[in-house]
Amino acid sequence: MSETTNDIAVRIENVKRHYGHIEALRGVDMQVHKGTIFGLLGSNGAGKSTLIKILVGSTRPNAGTVTVLGLNPFKEAGKLRNVLGYMPQAPALYEDLSARANIRFFGAAHRLPQLDQKVSQVLEFTGLTNRADDAVGGFSGGMKQRVSLACALVHQPQVLFLDEPTAGVDPKLKETFWQHFRQLASEGVTLFISTHLMDEALLCDRLAIMRDGEVLDCDTPKNIMLRGNTTVKIWHGALVEQQTVTEYPTQLPAVLARYGLDPAITRLDLEQDSLETIMVRMIGQTAPATTVEAPRVTVSKN
Amino acid sequence: MSSQVISIGQPSRAGGAFASRTATVVKRVLAQLLKDRRFLALSLVAPLLIMYLLKIFFDSLGNLAPSRYIVPVGALIIHFLTYILCSIVLVRERKTQTLTRMFVNGFRRSEIILGYLAAYTVLATVQTLIVLLELAWMFNLNYDLAKQFSIYLVIWLLAVISIALGILLSNFSENEGQMLPTIPMVILPSVFLSGLLIDVDKLPLWGQLLAFLTPLYYANNVLQALIKPQGSLGDQFASLAGLLLYGLLVLLLATLTLREQEK
Repeated sequence: MSETTNDIAVRIENVKRHYGHIEALRGVDMQVHKGTIFGLLGSNGAGKSTLIKILVGSTRPNAGTVTVLGLNPFKEAGKLRNVLGYMPQAPALYEDLSARANIRFFGAAHRLPQLDQKVSQVLEFTGLTNRADDAVGGFSGGMKQRVSLACALVHQPQVLFLDEPTAGVDPKLKETFWQHFRQLASEGVTLFISTHLMDEALLCDRLAIMRDGEVLDCDTPKNIMLRGNTTVKIWHGALVEQQTVTEYPTQLPAVLARYGLDPAITRLDLEQDSLETIMVRMIGQTAPATTVEAPRVTVSKN
Repeated sequence: MSSQVISIGQPSRAGGAFASRTATVVKRVLAQLLKDRRFLALSLVAPLLIMYLLKIFFDSLGNLAPSRYIVPVGALIIHFLTYILCSIVLVRERKTQTLTRMFVNGFRRSEIILGYLAAYTVLATVQTLIVLLELAWMFNLNYDLAKQFSIYLVIWLLAVISIALGILLSNFSENEGQMLPTIPMVILPSVFLSGLLIDVDKLPLWGQLLAFLTPLYYANNVLQALIKPQGSLGDQFASLAGLLLYGLLVLLLATLTLREQEK
């Protein structure tokens, strides 16, 4: 086995899945490297949850193959269970049981040695120690998400699939979650996270943008941001000249060079498209977004 | 928290894993049952009240020989109560995705089914005992200890099978609403076709064939033989074996039809 193959945690090849007439996935290809945070970004119905369900073995694809750590989730499920963690979109917890009892139950499936100690560790990791013995039914949405995350972590998996883990979570807790995710990735855990939140997507090492069961783009967030436009506003006193450039790192110098060090310029504003704008534009395009528009400079005078 | 490296494909003792995970499911379901005090109380009070109503009913009939009906009707009540005991719970597990989570974490179908069956059997055992003690007390059933034990065994077996039947049919329901119509579909044929009210051989052929599909048919045959003065378990050995086989078949089907993957 080559070193490159060993480095791949998740491999997805031409995966298709339909529900009746609805095509949830239309031939998805992806690779995720070990120890990275991979984000799936897309609006509702893009196929993110379906893809994750296929990867954890709870939904079968109609075509294509997937492997997680080189194992088929359907044919080698038994081997995969101990190294795979899954946090579904819904909390999927027993509300009448305590946080500790929930985590202990799912941990016991893996027959872990020193289970109680591991349960205490994840309770501490997710900041639940003080509420460990309270019934989950009385928890807020964010607290339930924490318990759900703890359930996915208790057996210390090597690959973690998180389906919209911060949905309904307040910004402070979201930040805490991401600190956990970064820590896990630094320890070598691969995280596969679906989200529809732009700020969250930018925190991933790599990002796939999905629409209607297709991957529109798959790259680092930095490179995806470069697909957007940058609006340059050049102020000459009260007059504003506006130019739009694509791929600003290479095109912006040309725009600025045109003006040189003109003392009449009183102010310079750069406004970069947000990830949301880029995504909306990609989704709106009829042609696949993988054909990136050639860099161009447009000049307009106000 | 540090990541633990687990070697993939590590050999484990399959039998030990099966027993351990099944016991985990049993413990969790029992813990949930104990937390739900209202459900627990209703599950134990309901048979008491129903048996009391039965006493009033038989007393009002006067000349009808109660011995022909009392024990089998007790069995019917147990069949009804235990069938609905856990059938809704598994549907709820599917809806809240805890069932998916169980599978992803490595629980197997047989472990889940047996875990549920064993946990609810604890409750069914108590229910059966309550019904039989109340029956014996209210109707002055003077059976010897061996016969009482045999009757208890048959009804207890019917209770366990009824739980398994509830689990089996819940596998075909997406939500609680879809499960509810199965209750009369299971219970009413048991009332009319099992031989409880009229002998099965007086039914048309299709009715006789349908009778084989009701567990109460087998249990009723054994109980009718047992309550005779010299009756014993061996008198209806074929029906007893039929009841056991029925139970095993339902359990097997329940395990095979529990969906690991979503549709």
